[in-house]
Order: sequence, then structure tokens, then C-alpha cells
Amino acid sequence: MRYILIAVMFLLCLILPGTLFHFWSWSGIKPDLLMLLTIYMALHHRLTSSVLWGFGAGLLEDLYLGRYIGMYTLSLMVVAFLSYWLAERWYRENFLITPFMVFLVTAAGQLVVAFLSLGAGLPWSMGDIGRLVFGVSLYNAVLVPLTYPLIHRSFLHGWLRYRPRYER
Amino acid sequence: MGKRVNGTGIAVLVFFLLLGVLISIRLTGLGSNFPNPIGGVLQGVLSPVEKTLLQLGNGIKSNSKGLWDFRGVQIENETLRKKVDQLTGDNLQLKEQVLAGMRYTELDQGQFRNPALDKFEKVGATVVNRNPTAWYQTLTLNRGSKDGVAQNDPVIGDLGLVGKVVSVSATTSEVLMILDGEGQVSALVRNSTGNGTFGIVQGTYKRGSRLTSEGNLQMLFLREDVVNVGELVLTAGRGGVYPQDIPIGKVKEVKLDPSGLLKTAYIEPLVNFDNLEEAYIVKMVGGK
Repeated sequence: MRYILIAVMFLLCLILPGTLFHFWSWSGIKPDLLMLLTIYMALHHRLTSSVLWGFGAGLLEDLYLGRYIGMYTLSLMVVAFLSYWLAERWYRENFLITPFMVFLVTAAGQLVVAFLSLGAGLPWSMGDIGRLVFGVSLYNAVLVPLTYPLIHRSFLHGWLRYRPRYER
Repeated sequence: MGKRVNGTGIAVLVFFLLLGVLISIRLTGLGSNFPNPIGGVLQGVLSPVEKTLLQLGNGIKSNSKGLWDFRGVQIENETLRKKVDQLTGDNLQLKEQVLAGMRYTELDQGQFRNPALDKFEKVGATVVNRNPTAWYQTLTLNRGSKDGVAQNDPVIGDLGLVGKVVSVSATTSEVLMILDGEGQVSALVRNSTGNGTFGIVQGTYKRGSRLTSEGNLQMLFLREDVVNVGELVLTAGRGGVYPQDIPIGKVKEVKLDPSGLLKTAYIEPLVNFDNLEEAYIVKMVGGK
């Protein structure tokens, strides 16, 4: 059930920004839900698992988009690593720090996307990149108070809780 | 004894990882024929869900707007919008009569008719998704290679050009809108005497107004070219992607560059990209 739920969440995060959030976009900016979910996964897993989840999520997004393969794979791996690294230092049950952390990590992830895009020769101005990175990070941070308490509770006591084989 | 972390080793690993990713990005960029069966399956499976969600989003948008703006204003707004679309169509029709060189005739079932398009088969499609990231202006249609859609096929809306197909799965196709800076269209501006001035129309989504949800179009001309506000911009049919004489937009503003050598015409698209729900894919391979 845990893995089915995670798969459904990943797929929803993939399709919601292009559908429902298209109508709730602010000046063309919509949240990066897959990045947000990767951060949540990293907050509740060990380093290797976190980076692997980031790899899987990124590859899924790259294949779904069908171009620039590797861009989101690398970005979400970096995001997973950073989230784990920060969660080790900051108390992950502090719901005031989490939005700030999500803001920082999303900004870093979006910067990696921008950096790779520039590296691939896509012509984007610095001003636009700045506004996009700030906008997406802010949107993701705003979604944290609405989503994180539920996800966190589910990871601790609900369907998302990891149970070792012997416990099952 | 545990393994020691070697700084140089990590640096080399990061370097090669980055290099590999950059090469992969280059090879699988926009317009590349990268085979992506997994992506195709994903698109095929998810497109019905996406279509439902998009309709749900449309419904929520309409209803929540009604709550704030009062239902009556909403209905009036919808009516006016339809009227504007109809008038824009009528305006096109009138202009077409003025332009002796132009031959597209009356609006037929809401879609403009164009002799250049008549020789191609068109397939109607519904928008099932928009690009999930904020970095591109693409949309997904519910027609794919099973319906005979191929890469680079032009996509038109009820009033004019939407863009071109950049990737195709069995049941869906992804369309790069002309608003995106990545797509360029060879075009001409027709003045009231029927004379045309050629140029390249480019989306501004990646330029100054990248973050405006509507996006915009612009076209560069030499200083001596005569281009006036209100004139119609059509595809020129050069470049092999778009057929000739598909309406793109109207010249909204003309500005002289600081250098004084060039001038930029800002073009208002005829198609309302934000509310686009249906489009036609023009099958360029094979014809009718």
C-alpha cells in the first residue's frame, strides 16, 4: 500500500501543475509539486534512499516531458541530497522552519534547472530566471502548511510509514 | 577499515556526472527524434486523467470566478468574450475581402478557411494538459501517431496559428506554442493594398515578458519597411513547417530600436492561448 500510494502521489504531482494549477498560476508561475514531494521524501528517508527517490522522480519527469533527459534527474537528486542534509541539522517537526527550508531547497533545485538549461544553450535572461526561481520557491513554500502536516503524520503513523519486513 | 572519502574523487565524479547530463540534455533537446517509449506509455495512460482534471480546473475556475464577480457578470463576460471572438472572426473576414491577394473565405463552423490548408487533412484534437513546469509554453493534445500525427505538423486554432507538434506518442502529441521563444515562424505582414513585408515572428515568452501568462509575439523589420498598427500577420509558407497564409495576429505596436536600424512590431495573437481547449492538427505528410 505504501509504494502504491507513493506512486500515485508522484503521478499526481506530475500532472497537477499542468492541469489544475494551470488555473491557479500566478503570472505564469506554478508550483513544482514533484520537487516538493521529493523534499518530503528526503525528510523521511536516509541519504541513499532520498537520493534514489530523487533520481527516480527526476527520471520520471524527464521521460514524461520527453526531452532534455537528465535535467530533472540531476536536479531532484541535488534537491534530495540538500533536503536530507538540512533535515539533519534542523528539527524536521518544526512546521515553521519547514516552509523556509522548502523555499531554500526549491530555489536551489530551480537554479540547477536554470544552470543546466543555460549549459544546454537555452537563451534565458538572468532577470527572468531570478523571478521564476523566486516565484516557484515561494509557491512551494506556501503549499507546505497545507500539505506537510498530513504527509508527516502519514510518514510517522499512517500508510506512508516504512515498516521493516519482520514487522510486517 | 572504512573507506576514506577522497575529495579529488568526488570532484571527478561530479564533473563527469555533470558532463554526462549536459551531453544527454543536448542530445535529447527540443526537436530531436529521441525514442521515448516509456514517456509515450506514461502520456497515453495519464492523458484521460489529465483531460478530466483540466475540465475540472476549468469548472472550478468558472465557478470560483462567479463567486467573486457575481454570476451575472460572469455570464455577461462569457457572452462578451464570445462576441469578441465572433467580431474578431468577422474582422478577419472583412480584411480578407480587402486584401486582394488573400483568398481564405468565410468562417466555416468557427474555423477559418484557407486554400493553402484545404489540400491537407486536418484532425481535431482536445487540449489535455499544459506543460507541468513553468519553463516552457507547450500543451498536450489527445491525438498521436495512431491518428497519423507527425512531428512538425502545424497546429491551428479557430482563428489562427497555435504552434507545431514537437513530440508524438501513440495517443498524444506535444505542441510548442508560437508564444515560446524556441519556436520561430516565417511570416509576412499584409497591408491594406495587399503588399507583404517578410520577417520572422518570435514568441517573447523567454524574453522580457517571459512571466506574463499570455506571452506575446514580436517581429523585426528594417527601418525602411512600412508596417502599420492593425495590419494582419500571416505565415509566409517558407521554412517547410507552416503552410502559407495562416493568420497569426495583428500588429499592436511598432517601436524603433535604439540603434535606429531596426524596428520591432509587437503582435497580438488572434488565438486566446490561455483558454484554448480545441485545436486542429494539420497533417503535412501525405496531404489529402
